Amino acid sequence: MRMAPGGPFDGERKLPPEIEANLLAAYNMDQPLYLQYFDYLAGLLVGDFGPSFKYKDFTVTELIWSGFPISFELGMWAMLIGIIFGIGFGCYAALRQNTPGDYLVMSTAMAGIAIPNFVMAPILTLVFGVMLGWLPAGGWNDGAWQNKVLPILALALPQVAYIARMTRGSMIEVMGAQFIRTARAKGISERKVVTRHALKSALLPVISYLGPATAGVITGSVVIEQIFGIPGIGRYFVQAALNRDYTLVMGTVVFYGGLIILFNLLVDLIYGWLDPQIRYE
Amino acid sequence: MNVHTSATAPALPILTIDDLHIDFALHTGTVQAVRGISFELYKGETLALVGESGSGKSITAQSILQLLPEPVRYTQGSIQYQQQELIGASTTAIRKVRGDRIAMIFQEPMTSLNPLQSIEHQVAEVLIEHKGMTRRQAAARVLELFQLVEIPDPKRRLKAYPHELSGGQRQRVMIAMALACEPDILIADEPTTALDVTIQAQVMALLKGLQHKFGMAILFITHDLGVVHQFADRVCVMRKGQLVEQGITEAVFSQPQHPYTCELLDSEPSGNKPPVSQDAPVILDAKQVQVEFPIRAGFLGRVVNQFRAVDGISLTLRQGQTVGIVGESGSGKSTLGKALLKLLDGHGDIHFDGIQIDGLEPLAMRPLRRKMQVVFQDPFGSLSPRMTIGEIIAEGLKVHEPLMRPDQRDEAVCAALEEVAISPASRNRYPHEFSGGQRQRIAIARAMVLKPKFLLLDEPTSALDRSVQVRVIELLRELQDKHKLTYLFISHDLAVVRALSDHVMVMRTGEVVEQGPTEEIFNCPQQAYTRELIAAACPLGSSAERACNPA
Repeated sequence: MRMAPGGPFDGERKLPPEIEANLLAAYNMDQPLYLQYFDYLAGLLVGDFGPSFKYKDFTVTELIWSGFPISFELGMWAMLIGIIFGIGFGCYAALRQNTPGDYLVMSTAMAGIAIPNFVMAPILTLVFGVMLGWLPAGGWNDGAWQNKVLPILALALPQVAYIARMTRGSMIEVMGAQFIRTARAKGISERKVVTRHALKSALLPVISYLGPATAGVITGSVVIEQIFGIPGIGRYFVQAALNRDYTLVMGTVVFYGGLIILFNLLVDLIYGWLDPQIRYE
Repeated sequence: MNVHTSATAPALPILTIDDLHIDFALHTGTVQAVRGISFELYKGETLALVGESGSGKSITAQSILQLLPEPVRYTQGSIQYQQQELIGASTTAIRKVRGDRIAMIFQEPMTSLNPLQSIEHQVAEVLIEHKGMTRRQAAARVLELFQLVEIPDPKRRLKAYPHELSGGQRQRVMIAMALACEPDILIADEPTTALDVTIQAQVMALLKGLQHKFGMAILFITHDLGVVHQFADRVCVMRKGQLVEQGITEAVFSQPQHPYTCELLDSEPSGNKPPVSQDAPVILDAKQVQVEFPIRAGFLGRVVNQFRAVDGISLTLRQGQTVGIVGESGSGKSTLGKALLKLLDGHGDIHFDGIQIDGLEPLAMRPLRRKMQVVFQDPFGSLSPRMTIGEIIAEGLKVHEPLMRPDQRDEAVCAALEEVAISPASRNRYPHEFSGGQRQRIAIARAMVLKPKFLLLDEPTSALDRSVQVRVIELLRELQDKHKLTYLFISHDLAVVRALSDHVMVMRTGEVVEQGPTEEIFNCPQQAYTRELIAAACPLGSSAERACNPA
């Protein structure tokens, strides 16, 4: 990143060389790259992401903590909706395989996956914000719930679609398994066959998808946050990249990476809890 | 043991199947799986439904509890449990019968249990559902049931998951589940097919004892006539969805009326192989073969111990000889076979055709490979589904005779196919277009096209129906006579081994229990384990004792 031409202090007007040298020195940027890198790593170890180059007086840590709670809240709601409706629709479609209900759910899900969110978000705004006037079309308004609904919806819809498709696929597979036949032969109701025997097995592949997906959604969608004007972490990321705010870009990437590791670990733990076959002796 | 014979028949059958027709409406057309079957089941008796794969016996069994998946159609007939019609009965009515009055156990104890629930939970579920027990009451009853089906150390096993149990133990759990509500009828769909013979004998004895205790009727679905002979009171023989013969077991076995029954009974492999002379040239000579697998543990997969799969086995194969290796799963018989061909690494001196092959580099092994060929068990998995059978057979020739002209190669392929009695015209077809027996013939042709001296036959007939088995065995005999082949025949099926080999080696946990000429081993086994194996295999008796003369 630092090898790319240009720098954070390049502007319309060329800065006088002395000032530029002072600035570089203040941010340790006069040192060779590898030293800068080791300094950065050393800082990371104690949780210091360094100062932001563009938002003077703010450290990257402060910026991430100002944006992350917002993205986290929206993302968690979106994932919650995604999980509940995705699994619900997926099961519905699987248990009515090859009926009109199944086709309806699955074609809607396909559409949900195919329509990118930079198309979906304006459509939502247009319908609910402009035409119906039920909800504000954008802005944050200090976190009023009306302002959260549309972005959460826009984030959740593709997740619903993905999860529904995955659930349907694995549910159909599990319902064909031998132990489902055993469960039916026991004389328990079809509802119990599904909820007690099939669901847990069917959700295993979905759960492994949820780990990285949750990490992705709660760190903020660049597009959604831009469209709705939400001061989340995703928006910082774009602006930082445009501004060549190296430390902020690095900071968000490292933070995102850490979350992915964390959520994958969570998934592994949940797996071990659900599936006795992979528990470690 | 005969609770029911025609003389003491109770007035009313407990289950009546009358003129049952079952169709499957597939995209490609309607398949008539069962075409007009009628039989009755009486309290306390064991009725066996016998047939080969595709005869509709499992479908009949599953239709009783209405367990068949869509698109099933019951076009005609009735299934009555104590005057209650089950076809088209409401789901609630069916559910009251399922698991409570009629219980079922299945062939695959591995996959028939829910892998994510403890076995206690799975058995308790039936009790809670049908007997209205509380969790605590059910738990106590489950422990009793586990003691009843003789699960070792039942208290500790209650919380176990299916993958922690052996195949036999899982089938015991299935039986415990089926017996939980003391049903009137137990439907056992090939309950022992996936198990080793000694385990099979134990499970069958257990079922028989429990039947005696509870007085339930058993509908026993199987293809194994030996088991039928030993355990069933009456037999129904099915073929292509129809009942060809039914009657009391002894009568059907001693005086079969229908030609198909005769064919089934005679498809028990028979005959034996005369030993070869002591001065026939030695093809394979192995001394002290040992194979070890590392047992890894810990975070980094450190090798903590060695598992010795084959422990110091020596054997000599002469030209024209067939050595049979018998043993139950896990005895190391397949591992030994692979080690002898250097398909996996082992220790010990191995001479093939006068050349020492242990320690040979893979490249140096290659010219020898054409003389040693393998036929595997699974004719479905061991042929590439993306290649035509002609390509599959020609592949070995391409490797070993790269200079052969395409038309010569094609000729060789045709000759090999003709030898195994498959029309050379079908060489452009794909493996899925052939039946199991035909695929095994193709696998044999693939080996034979290279004109080998030695064939390793690793359970080549285990996945096949008896009548198909017999034809494959005949083919193997013919080829051996014609080409002076040497066979190493690995099988858990004692009848087949007896028919095909002149020398037998009994293996257990990587060691040789006993070996010697086939007839000696079978007629007067010296070791207790060998006797147990032979006793468990339920031989049918020779066909000479049978008056097989249908109209």
